[in-house]
Amino acid sequence: MSEVKQTIAPAQGMPQAKNVAPAPLDKPQWETPRLEDVSEQVMAQPYIRFT
Amino acid sequence: MRTIDRLGAPLFVSWQITRDCDLCCLHCCTESAPGKRLPDELDAAEAMRVADEIVRVGVPYVMLCGGEPLVVPHFFEIAERLGGAGIDLKIESNGQRLDAAVARRLARLPIRSVQISLDGDTEETYARQRVGGSLAAAHDACRAVRAAGLPLEITFAPTLVNLHEAEQVIERARALGAFRFNTGRLMRVGTAARLWSRLEPSEAQWAEFRDLLDRASRRLGEAMELCHEPFEMRDGLRASLESPPATLLVLPNGWVKVAAALPDICADLRRDRLDEAWDAYRVAWRSDRVRSAARNVVDDAALLAQANVWLAPATRRIDIIAETP
Repeated sequence: MSEVKQTIAPAQGMPQAKNVAPAPLDKPQWETPRLEDVSEQVMAQPYIRFT
Repeated sequence: MRTIDRLGAPLFVSWQITRDCDLCCLHCCTESAPGKRLPDELDAAEAMRVADEIVRVGVPYVMLCGGEPLVVPHFFEIAERLGGAGIDLKIESNGQRLDAAVARRLARLPIRSVQISLDGDTEETYARQRVGGSLAAAHDACRAVRAAGLPLEITFAPTLVNLHEAEQVIERARALGAFRFNTGRLMRVGTAARLWSRLEPSEAQWAEFRDLLDRASRRLGEAMELCHEPFEMRDGLRASLESPPATLLVLPNGWVKVAAALPDICADLRRDRLDEAWDAYRVAWRSDRVRSAARNVVDDAALLAQANVWLAPATRRIDIIAETP
């Protein structure tokens, strides 16, 4: 889904390096989804709970 | 920070693997019925690729539903691919085809719940709402689930047709060994929206029903969990505006919905990887368009009737992203 990446723009006022390959964006520290967190999420959605 | 911005993958995928069904229920929110398979549903190979994507990104819990999932020839292939990879499963079924052999095969998988719909406690009422269905077959399915050692969950969709049997259905669910009973206000989506004037109970009836649920909940204690809050689909959507659920709803053609109550599609799993769909979902819930549409539905439940008029992903997704600050 390249469109997502294409919309990321540098923040205004950020210094722009010239003639230097851009540093990779910091990867977010994603949390791993855990099964024990599922129930509350599911039960909070009537459509999923009782379709 | 929103839960969805912390997680690298959804907690839960609700996957409607077909719109086809062997029943023609008056209240159906997916407009399923015999012969209503979508012309562009994922075939077996495509479905397996989606299953592999779900495994790859580390989704811990998947619900297979429909339509009726057991009418899909490759249902077990999907379930066994996911379950074999250690993903917990929930199966939603009308119970018409769920016999002892099916239950025993399911029991080899990590199943958290088999949910069967009991929308009446007499054959007459059940068949009026679940046209073409047999209550005896649904009860047999419940017994087969329990006999196989699987956790049984019951769902009840209240309408003018069956509300008078609600208390008996709750008691039936307990007697059949269900660990949970799910219900709430009828959702004005799909077939239910078309037949709304025939199905919608009055506000006084809803109030009476909620009293019944509160009483039953107190009476049952820990014998069976009775889930009816949030009571309305709109309540769930209102909560989603604060913190969107970490769940993806996948349609039979591989499209991913932003929310059940909205027509917006944020990704196409024929084209997009699941992590890309998850990114698109997060972006969508920041967009003015989606948030405004959600607020409109919260304010006017009649708009739910448009939830199944899906907006194709190709242009919508780009539009959504273009609006994102």
